[in-house]
Amino acid sequence: MSQGGPAHHLRTSEPALRIGAIASGGALGTLARYGADRALVPDATGFPWATFTVNVVGSLLVGLLVTLVVERWSPTRYVRPFAVIGFCGGFTTFSTLAVEVAQRSQHGRVSLAVGYLVASLVAGVVAAALGMALARGRILPVPRDRPVPDPDDLGPLSPGPGSGGARP
Amino acid sequence: MIVLGVMVAGACGAVLRYSVDHLVQRRAGSDFPLGTLVINVTGSLVLGFLTGSALHHGVSATWLTVAGTGLIGAYTTFSTFTFDTVRLAEAERWGLSLLNVAVSIALGLGAAALGLALGSAT
Repeated sequence: MSQGGPAHHLRTSEPALRIGAIASGGALGTLARYGADRALVPDATGFPWATFTVNVVGSLLVGLLVTLVVERWSPTRYVRPFAVIGFCGGFTTFSTLAVEVAQRSQHGRVSLAVGYLVASLVAGVVAAALGMALARGRILPVPRDRPVPDPDDLGPLSPGPGSGGARP
Repeated sequence: MIVLGVMVAGACGAVLRYSVDHLVQRRAGSDFPLGTLVINVTGSLVLGFLTGSALHHGVSATWLTVAGTGLIGAYTTFSTFTFDTVRLAEAERWGLSLLNVAVSIALGLGAAALGLALGSAT
């Protein structure tokens, strides 16, 4: 994935399992977005709260999870395909945002459309940065000498020094 | 039943996104998230088309929900877009970061508007 950044932990030999993790995460993320859509029924010309909320929450989750996976956890195989690419990718949506903005402009609600677009961009970028800062313990302190536990960790196959530790 | 359709479509959309991203990014071979850009622009075009068709040609609401909300909604992604924007800024690649926002928005909105027009017309 392009969100890969420098450290890639996906050199797995089980591509089918990876695809399965992406598909199941995508199904659940899409279900959650559909639920938000149903709960906050969008008014065709009003502020699309469902898409806005989903996109901002998803951005926070991706910032948090990718940073945990890349910088703090020992290598995990399925967290990223399932939770990041699958769930968060399926949960958030760019196309709905684009169509909602275009439709509101066409209905003459140009300032609402621009406001919605700018609010989504600003809140989404801030949320992603906030998630990254949270993962690095810059907001709620994470003890330096105790690495964040790895959810895939099956026991004392523990990594050597340096992994999962604090950043310089 | 519609919930099941949305979930299956969402699963397909996520796998399709992964495949397209892989394909594009491998060829692009740069730090610019071209894969996500291609995904978001093509998805906006298709969702615009589906929405336009539904509004003007009576395509069923169920079909729009499964194909639009499910498949295309999951195919495109906002969180990867914002994350990449922050990642580039953090690496002090300000030009690429701003370019990612500007091009994604300009092309995404253009594609959505074009899709809506095509869907309404045909």
